[in-house]
Amino acid sequence: MMPKLGLICLLLFICVWPVSARAGILNIQEVVTPKGLKVWLVEDHTVPVISLKFAFKHSGAVNDPADKQGLARLLSNTLDEGAGDLDSKAFQGQLNDLSISLIFSSTRDDFGGGLKTLSKNRDAAFNLLKLALTSPRFDQEAIERMREANLSRIRSDMTDPEWMVARIMNDELFKQHPYAMNSGGTLTSLEKITATDLRKKVKEQLTRDRLLISIAGDIRQEDVSAIIDGIFGDLPETAAALDVAPAPFPAGQTSVLFKKDIPQSVIQIALPGIAQHDPDYFAAEIMNYTLGGAGFGSRLTEVVREQRGLTYGIYSGLTEMDFAQTLNIGSSTKNTSVNELIDLTKAELLKMTNQPITADELNSAKTYLIGSVPLDLTSTDSITSYMLGFQASNLPKNYLDIREAGLKAVTATDVQRVAKRLFNPEQMLTIIVGNPDNFTASKTVTQLPNVE
Amino acid sequence: MKFLPTLSALTILLAASSSWAETKPQRVFNAETFTLSNGMEVVVVPNHRAPVVTHMVWYKVGAADEPQGDGVSGAAHFLEHLMFKGSKAVAPGEFSRLIRSLGGEDNAFTSWDFTAYFQSISKTYLPTVMALEADRMININPPAKDVETELPVIIEERRQRTDNDPRALFMEQLRAVMFNTSPYGIPIIGWRDEMPKLTWQHAHDYYKTWYAPNNAILIVSGDITAEQLKPLAEKYYGFIPSKPIPAHIRPAVPEFSAEQRLTLRHADIRQPALIRGWRVPSFQQNPEVSYNLQVLEELISSGSATRLYQALVVKQKLASSVDLSYDGDNRGDGSLWLYAEPVPGVTLEKLETAIEQEFSAIIKDGFTDEELAKAKTRLIDSAIYARDSVAGPAMIIGQAMSAGATLEDIETWPAKIQAVERSGVEDVMKTFLDPRTTTSKAVTGYMLPEKETP
Repeated sequence: MMPKLGLICLLLFICVWPVSARAGILNIQEVVTPKGLKVWLVEDHTVPVISLKFAFKHSGAVNDPADKQGLARLLSNTLDEGAGDLDSKAFQGQLNDLSISLIFSSTRDDFGGGLKTLSKNRDAAFNLLKLALTSPRFDQEAIERMREANLSRIRSDMTDPEWMVARIMNDELFKQHPYAMNSGGTLTSLEKITATDLRKKVKEQLTRDRLLISIAGDIRQEDVSAIIDGIFGDLPETAAALDVAPAPFPAGQTSVLFKKDIPQSVIQIALPGIAQHDPDYFAAEIMNYTLGGAGFGSRLTEVVREQRGLTYGIYSGLTEMDFAQTLNIGSSTKNTSVNELIDLTKAELLKMTNQPITADELNSAKTYLIGSVPLDLTSTDSITSYMLGFQASNLPKNYLDIREAGLKAVTATDVQRVAKRLFNPEQMLTIIVGNPDNFTASKTVTQLPNVE
Repeated sequence: MKFLPTLSALTILLAASSSWAETKPQRVFNAETFTLSNGMEVVVVPNHRAPVVTHMVWYKVGAADEPQGDGVSGAAHFLEHLMFKGSKAVAPGEFSRLIRSLGGEDNAFTSWDFTAYFQSISKTYLPTVMALEADRMININPPAKDVETELPVIIEERRQRTDNDPRALFMEQLRAVMFNTSPYGIPIIGWRDEMPKLTWQHAHDYYKTWYAPNNAILIVSGDITAEQLKPLAEKYYGFIPSKPIPAHIRPAVPEFSAEQRLTLRHADIRQPALIRGWRVPSFQQNPEVSYNLQVLEELISSGSATRLYQALVVKQKLASSVDLSYDGDNRGDGSLWLYAEPVPGVTLEKLETAIEQEFSAIIKDGFTDEELAKAKTRLIDSAIYARDSVAGPAMIIGQAMSAGATLEDIETWPAKIQAVERSGVEDVMKTFLDPRTTTSKAVTGYMLPEKETP
């Protein structure tokens, strides 16, 4: 019953979780600035390094117009190409000379960025970030150069089988939903994006009401408010709400083949996933770990790689986005073994629904999923990544403690229940790029969707 | 010794001290070292940020030490895989399963000069992983059926990394031409047609010849001190007998007089590229030249504000990207690699000429003191960032030391970079990159689409 309690707790946001009296796994402080911005902070003076990560919720590629796919990506490439009086070379030169790393990035859901600086250069770093967000130049020269770099990236990627399989998967999985678009842009859509489009996106979507901020490292709590209001305080206040519906998982058992003359076929399988706020999420984490998340020790690796030598790697993973969740399985094998690999995978899925996992598997999954977290909390950057991830998923500050208690409470029956819920033979999408022997696909693709 | 390429390759960051010029020389990691009675070197990098450790054993031997001329390649990497397939005490696959069930991560990797095994785990279990790692240093004993299923696994690994990708196949061929008689020209994983001939005997012979405590470095980074580690290291590794280790043969590559140019035309190439590689001294072969090359790389090819990008991408608009990188962490020859992609409508010939002209201009005009100072500051600053991790320092130290550097070389790296002079950087530019004298020593690769030239 613990997971259910966990959910209620999350919904009410009161979260007096009966874990233990000991300190939390990651002790996050929350600072609310005079301008009303909420900041999560982990102070740590081990190394003179500061990491600041932020995201504008729902300002990502999901907003890209269909004929201007790649807008969010191109914005992330051009925001650091000059601002205020500094042209591209001057702006990049200052970052470089002061060993400051400033990176903007876009997921499907959110537009964000990260700043990493040595303490001695922090004021300059904060100023450069503020300048980039509040007075980006979007000089034509820089736009053209970044456009060209993106076109070159697409031309390199478009024959890479792993990239191809992911592109086809997105298209098949999300159909008419905005998630089906190519967030990196297409060879034609990138050509249509103008400085006006970039400016408009900044003005309308990089707003304070959408802003999530995490900061960690060599910084004191009493300094945070002034720094954060200084950088973000002058941004526009609000954005119009994003109007996107959840993407349903496509019905039916579908397999899609893109025939390509290579010695090894690349395979991706998608099944319905589960939201992080779902009461069964912790059971799903354990199920995924046991199935294929663990790598070595997981059932898929054991059966497909260790016992039969069919692949170098087979993995499963849970993906959560704001409007869709999936469970993915990825692998690759020589063309003559594709059917065998897929059959073995299906048999393992079935087994997971037919009988509970063993007590050893359950314990091993719990120990790993709980015990490996501190391994990741050893650098300033990874701490801000964790915090921003929780903020973006609307999880509370003590989520790691809640998760630990939630994982501990999961039973083998819970795992079997969630497997039954997710593994429906009538909802399974398989994409293959390669030249598999004797494989009957329900659909063949000869053109990559949304690339040219 | 050269940190940065390693770092990008292994997704780790490197480090040094910032206000270096004005303040007292700082050591990069403040690591401690001692040697066990059997000759095993031990390095401890204390970092008490979280109650975790990264435990690594680096064997100072890699693919370049495999027997030559036996018609087989890839034994070092095959052995690395078989190290997970059981010993007299541990069942096949049990090693990794046990580490996971204790909340840890483990893996291994093979290069031409080293082979490394690592675990990151709660410090509570450090004795357990030490016992397991020491066990497989002497007791590896994979059942025949596990050897049999692992061979197709590494063949699938090769398909995934190389055979499925014409660009990777082309890089393999460029290396083979550039390193010619040196084993650095043989892919670590092995040639496609030689891998199927690998047997347990090849892996086991290599293991018996090279795996020994006196040919290994133990590195523990994280929530531990040298004082705490010493008794554990003695207990788990100290009893393993040392053995005579053969010399590492790194043949000198003959200087040929004809230019070496390769062109690949392939339907899967949509974006043309120019690649050029030069053999240059490694840190081990010439530390002073190596420091100069490290600063040169940073000075002309580090981000969009530096020389090559500004000249070719911003001003002349001939390329969409250009990058020069130096690999100097080797026992034998190091290398410099140039990679550039033209914008549409620009031929690789035109791009090549423009790059050579830029090199010539740099050689003629030299660098400014300001450029040099900025490049050195960036390198020295990178050493501070390198401390912001537990696993990262162990990676950096392991790679440099297994190629022959000392811990002192690594700890005093910022001072060595600070001491680099403009004339030294200009000299290495002229010696190794002057198009008039070095093009014939380099290998040049054109990657092109199947039909029309761009």
